[in-house]
Amino acid sequence: MLLWYILTLFILPFSLAAPKDSNAIHDELVKLAKANNGVIKLDERTYDLLTSPKRTWSAAVQLTAMDAKRRCAPCKEFDPSFKEVGRSWSTVPAEERNSHFFATLDFDNGMTVFQKSAPIVHVYPAAEGPRKPANGRTAPSTYDFSFGFEAGPLAEQLSHHTPIPIPYQAPFNWSRWGVLKNKWTWAVGTVLTSLVMTSGYMFTRIRGAPWSGGNGQWIAPGYQNQFGQETQVVAMIYGLLASAFLMLTVVTPYTTSPSRQKAQVYLWSVVIFIMYSVLLSLFRVKNKGYPFKLLL
Amino acid sequence: MATTTAYQVPANLSPTAIANTSSLLRIVALALISAAAIASRLFAVINFESIIHEFDPWFNYRATKVLASEGFYAFWNWFDPTAWYPLGRVVGGTIYPGLMATSGVIFYALKAINLPVDIRNICVLLAPGFSALTAWATYMFTKEMKDESAGLLAAAFIGIVPGYISRSVAGSYDNEAIAIFLLMFTFYAWIKALKTGSAFFGTVAALFYFYMVAAWGGYAFITNMIPLHALALILMGRYSGRLYVGYSSWYAVGTLASMQVPFVGFQPVRTSEHMAALGVFGLLQIIAFAELVRSHVSSKQFRALLFASVIGLGLLGTAGIVGMTYKGWIAPWTGRFYSLWDTGYAKKYIPIIASVSEHQPTAWPSFFMDLQFLIFLFPAGVIMCFRQLRDEHVFVIIYAIVASYFAGVMVRLMLTLTPVVCVAAAIAFSTLLDTYLNPEQPEEETPSAAVPSTAAPSETSSAKKGKKAAPAPATLAELVSNATGPESTKRKTGIFGLDTRLLVILNALGMLVFFVWHCTWVTSSAYSSPSVVLASANPDGSQHIIDDFREAYYWLRQNTPEDAVVMSWWDYGYQIAGMADRPTLVDNNTWNNTHIATVGKAMSSTEEVAYPILRKHDVDYVLIIFGGLIGYSGDDINKFLWMVRIAQGVWPDEIQEPNYFTRTGEYKIDDQASQTMKDSLMYKMSYYRFAELFGGQQAVDRVRGQQVPKTGPTLDYLDEAFTSENWIVRIFQVKKEDLLGRDLKSANSFDQGKKKKRSKPSSRRRAIL
Repeated sequence: MLLWYILTLFILPFSLAAPKDSNAIHDELVKLAKANNGVIKLDERTYDLLTSPKRTWSAAVQLTAMDAKRRCAPCKEFDPSFKEVGRSWSTVPAEERNSHFFATLDFDNGMTVFQKSAPIVHVYPAAEGPRKPANGRTAPSTYDFSFGFEAGPLAEQLSHHTPIPIPYQAPFNWSRWGVLKNKWTWAVGTVLTSLVMTSGYMFTRIRGAPWSGGNGQWIAPGYQNQFGQETQVVAMIYGLLASAFLMLTVVTPYTTSPSRQKAQVYLWSVVIFIMYSVLLSLFRVKNKGYPFKLLL
Repeated sequence: MATTTAYQVPANLSPTAIANTSSLLRIVALALISAAAIASRLFAVINFESIIHEFDPWFNYRATKVLASEGFYAFWNWFDPTAWYPLGRVVGGTIYPGLMATSGVIFYALKAINLPVDIRNICVLLAPGFSALTAWATYMFTKEMKDESAGLLAAAFIGIVPGYISRSVAGSYDNEAIAIFLLMFTFYAWIKALKTGSAFFGTVAALFYFYMVAAWGGYAFITNMIPLHALALILMGRYSGRLYVGYSSWYAVGTLASMQVPFVGFQPVRTSEHMAALGVFGLLQIIAFAELVRSHVSSKQFRALLFASVIGLGLLGTAGIVGMTYKGWIAPWTGRFYSLWDTGYAKKYIPIIASVSEHQPTAWPSFFMDLQFLIFLFPAGVIMCFRQLRDEHVFVIIYAIVASYFAGVMVRLMLTLTPVVCVAAAIAFSTLLDTYLNPEQPEEETPSAAVPSTAAPSETSSAKKGKKAAPAPATLAELVSNATGPESTKRKTGIFGLDTRLLVILNALGMLVFFVWHCTWVTSSAYSSPSVVLASANPDGSQHIIDDFREAYYWLRQNTPEDAVVMSWWDYGYQIAGMADRPTLVDNNTWNNTHIATVGKAMSSTEEVAYPILRKHDVDYVLIIFGGLIGYSGDDINKFLWMVRIAQGVWPDEIQEPNYFTRTGEYKIDDQASQTMKDSLMYKMSYYRFAELFGGQQAVDRVRGQQVPKTGPTLDYLDEAFTSENWIVRIFQVKKEDLLGRDLKSANSFDQGKKKKRSKPSSRRRAIL
């Protein structure tokens, strides 16, 4: 038995080298694609097999130069997108999957094939069989990089050449976590939380207070009572007053022109005074015995 | 001349003179703040008298008296047979003794220097005294956040802010009186330990934590705040040796110390409230170990392995804690804490917690009443913390979120929100004052010699061009200068002119003055009532004291045998024990829900049902609070529904809440009141002979604003024993069984000369032997 295995191993390279009919080539390509996460790694020989004029399949071939000494920055940028699209193609049902291939050829593995620039994506339509284009043009087309280096547009464009659209889905955008790393995101969250909480939101939730009373009345009578709308109004007043203070302390000192700065100082001081008066008048509605007031 | 100034400042002062003067001013300011804090809490003593307030303080006072008169060991082993009659209460093991111990120590210390002060006065004045210490602790805490001037502002704020005064006026002898000082000082020590990485301050934090544990059940707030802060720092990638040392020393010493309090015991390792602290402690050990290994090993793979194992260990630990909770080795969150998250929980399962008025959610006027302008400076202060975001600022931020949520859920927890509001508001306000009091003006035109920098010309020229020039591509010079130090090249920012300064400063001063007025008004009018003594105004404006409570309690004390058991709703248990010195069935230490429900059942059932309950519990007197005559709204009829609910929780077959409403679902006491309501013992006692008072005219209940039926209820099993001047307290004596063996109802009607109907043969009469 062992002998047979060894024999097979010996025969294998010969069998690969020998010219084959298109079915055998197809099977080999399917195997290679499966082994490489949907993207066949080509060399000159397999490149010829893939693009054979008798092909019944279509193929998208990326020509690239990933070796560091080639100094191809765009190649490195584009390669993950191509791999990602190829990987998502490997999830479609076998029938469709095996009629279109993704392949990549590195410059160092197939210098003769290369023309002038990298990266480049050639799309080879089927040259024979049922998937041969109706207009009969079997010459390869080239992906237009003006669509972008990203996987999304690549998948969209290549889908014109595949039997079914490539089921590419953008992975979760981890860069959104960057928002969470930004302290101002947290600052806004914190301040909004405390504003809402200190304007009695929990009261309206626990008590199930209505948003407003009937007949246009939006201030609930009584000191220990409130409507939902009051929460919003009070939170907004607090927020406005707090931001007026912040404007005075944080923004105004950075103003370079004296006159504009003066205008700002006056503006925010007046805002504070007026909003504070409004707040007090609201409070006097709730607490009838409150003896103090400002403007209103 | 380097910079222009908006107003003249003396230039020839030596730095030492400035430092000395400012430290003297700080001391004077702190002393004045302390004096103001104490003085503003004395309204209660001046308007009324030196008396213990409210409910819980009466128990604390009674316990302190035991401590002062019989010594610490007697206090520790004190079993009180008169509370929770007939069960009794092991007082030493069921209280936080910190408050009493503090008063006891002060009492003995004064005695040692031959100053015999009445223990009552120590108790009354303890809270104002500690508020001065709180102001100092807040000063220290805020100083770590910004600087001394912010600290002084924070101290002044917390000294007089009503949110804290409401719990610490003279006579309000409760745990919170000392707890807020301990809270702030523990936090200060923790921040200090974190900043310096000092095990000493970690231990100080632990010792004050221990004191806090001994003093207030709210210590769980610290137990979770500090781990939360540590965890946030770890997640922000700010783990450091300082954090490790500070936290570990606090946790190890603090936990061991807290377990010495009998009431706490093994809870720190067995309940969910304490698991966060334990978990973060474990996490810190793992991270510290990983850091250690990482600093010695360079292999990349090994680091990856280490990283994975750290995460794995962390997950394993969490899973362990969760698993142990499921297994029951770790007690889950207790209802009191759980109800903070699931706000509907208490009302459903623990009505006794939901029934307390200070456990109600907070409407916005309460926030404004308690914090006034601090409430809108608070978010500004939080933003200021975000600007710098040092480790200690993270603490204030977390504290701000957590406390504002808690304060929204429960009025009572406004107390924990108040310190952080004061701190944050002080940071914001003092930044404002710093900006506008600073005499230096920014230079307007040519760069001055004071800014010796190559980049200065380009900076100022771009400044002239205005905003458009700002995003211009960075030149090499700018890049270099930015790298060398932004401080030196930045254009000096500031305020131009004097009028802008004056406007803002006057506005700010006006707000401060207004704040003082507000606090004084709120303190004097709302928060200084002892609630044992009530005040009302005579027609001529003079004060009229309503002293019904003490009148009734003293009546009990002097007219009933010493072992006469008094039944009342639990709110008045401590007061009866403290002032009347009589055994009570239930009191404010609501540990036994069934016992309370028994009282609730007796109150809400008919006389016939209630009588056996009363007799079985040896009840001699029933005491109720009735405000219908003078309009005292905190009376028992208003609390009655809670009694019904709590009783229903235990006897759902016998007591049903809907029966106490009218058909239309209203809670009424007039003619339309439901029969169950009218037959209930509480209703009968409240309105017994009430209509007679109006001499034939329509009797009106002034609390509920409803007309009381002209023919009032009759009582067969109880006798009216005492009714106070304004009818606030009514005491009924429970009749003994009839000597002739009749049931009391028929005996009563016999006494009144009513003939029994002869339709039935008198089969019930027994032969008298």
